[in-house]
Amino acid sequence: MTLESPHGHIQARRGYARRKASSTVMLILTGLTTTLALIPLFWIIGYVVYQGGKYIDWSFFTQLPRPPGVAGGGVLNAIEGTVLLVILSSIFAIPPGVLAAFYAAYYPNTPLGIAVRFSTDVLSGVPSIIIGLFLYAVVVKVQGHFSALAGGMALAILMLPVIIRTTEEMLKLVPPALREASLALGAPEWKTSLSVVLPAAANGLITGFLLGLARASGETAPLLFTALGNEYFDFAAQVRSGLASGQNPFAILAGILGQPVDSLPLTLWKYAQQPYPERTHQAWAAALVLMALVLSTNIAARLWIVFRQRRMKG
Amino acid sequence: MNITPTLSQPFVLPRASARSIEDAVETEAERAIRPVKLDIRNLSVFYGKFRAIADINISIPAHQVTAIIGPSGCGKSTLLRAINRMTDLTPGSHAEGEILLDGENILASGIDVVQIRQRVGMVFQRPNPFPKSIYDNVAYGPRLYGIHRRTELDEIVEHSLQRSALWDEVKEKLNQSGMALSGGQQQRLCIARALAVEPAVILMDEPASALDPIATLKIEDLMQHLKEEYTIVIVTHNMQQAARVSDYTAFLMIDDERAGRLVEFGTTNRIFTRPEKKQTEDYVTGRFG
Repeated sequence: MTLESPHGHIQARRGYARRKASSTVMLILTGLTTTLALIPLFWIIGYVVYQGGKYIDWSFFTQLPRPPGVAGGGVLNAIEGTVLLVILSSIFAIPPGVLAAFYAAYYPNTPLGIAVRFSTDVLSGVPSIIIGLFLYAVVVKVQGHFSALAGGMALAILMLPVIIRTTEEMLKLVPPALREASLALGAPEWKTSLSVVLPAAANGLITGFLLGLARASGETAPLLFTALGNEYFDFAAQVRSGLASGQNPFAILAGILGQPVDSLPLTLWKYAQQPYPERTHQAWAAALVLMALVLSTNIAARLWIVFRQRRMKG
Repeated sequence: MNITPTLSQPFVLPRASARSIEDAVETEAERAIRPVKLDIRNLSVFYGKFRAIADINISIPAHQVTAIIGPSGCGKSTLLRAINRMTDLTPGSHAEGEILLDGENILASGIDVVQIRQRVGMVFQRPNPFPKSIYDNVAYGPRLYGIHRRTELDEIVEHSLQRSALWDEVKEKLNQSGMALSGGQQQRLCIARALAVEPAVILMDEPASALDPIATLKIEDLMQHLKEEYTIVIVTHNMQQAARVSDYTAFLMIDDERAGRLVEFGTTNRIFTRPEKKQTEDYVTGRFG
């Protein structure tokens, strides 16, 4: 077989060895840099698992903290607080975030649509401590005390840009033909958005929510001025004592939301700078639990998406 | 309201004589007796300042297949989309003139778009089933109009799928995703979805252009059955298809201002064999376009 072209202008063999060599070099280079980029990830995971794993036991998940300098105890308060804050911030951030994203996706060139996207960008650049300070001024100061509610709001503001942005991108990926098909059947816009566009974008949206949650659940700074921290926070005890004193469920809930709560990053931050070795050890363990929490939500979501896609393909 | 006098009596020609009438050049008298389903009068559609189609006049007869043909960009799809007000979805668009559906101007300001779209269904160029089960795809429309009883929905779903010639292929797997079907099946599912809201007119925007020849043939076959119950308007690029499936043909072209204008409208047979205009003849014989 000849590699010469009919007119002899193209000589496929010319410089072939050089091209092949540079291709190999580039392949090795990209492989190396990829490995380099992955090293910090696995290093961090490995080191946290190694350090935290040494000090983790069952009571770490089930007990409240002991006084400083006393061995034992756990971070039940922080785990419960993290879950509570994540739930609160999702409630505050996801519905308005999704609605704003619909507006930005379908009315991109209206003044309000442009404003939504611009302010989302600005908001995502605001340092998280300033968001904490803001909530301190408008909620904590006004209420007169730190609270889970203020903490949830601070995290919600932090999540909002992530949720709006990812939702908007996912909505834009839904083929316009689907929307048209629904509208052509006489469906109103809101019905089309709700029952055709939203389910079609569901997988992407859930990924977006989880990114937002992961971001929020790892934040410390906005909680310093809002949720503050609470070494005595115990959900079950709260509910028990509330029921014992004959309070209705709403009053119990209000009591829980109205008091300061702890969170894992907050605990980690506080414990890591204390001079007691038990506290430092527990800081490592808290780091491991936080990491595992974020990682497992991510993995669970991805598995769920795979499962759903399989089912959709029939 | 301007109600066409022939509406009360649907006028169906016996098969044998249908041919001979089509063969004749349409006279004014014949035009007058044919029941008109859609009367398009001086229709212009604007996108912002740009006029996409200008002064279109077509009387689309009931229970016939009417094809809209013409070169790319001549406004075929715009014309089609104006008939169920899908043009409303394009920001900055507006329409002038009248489209009378059974004598009622659907472009009038007080008209409910939802009602128009129930009476005028649409099938798109690419099959676009919802990412739902086959059943839910077809039941989507009826549910919009408040039908929720399971037995009633079952009946509508079966009936619609039978009319779109898909029932036998999917009756065992109604709960599977509509996306899992082949392209041709998906398009017939989309037709069933449009039929489920019991429209009077079905608009088809190049319904077979994304399908293979066998699937195309099935869709074309289907149209011949469907026209007994519905009025069909189809946009097509493919002149052989227009000649095969349609009873009437409208030929559109771009004028000097890049607006689409009607060149000629008549029975398909006449348009393809004895066109009155030179432009039509050039186009249907493949000399340009």
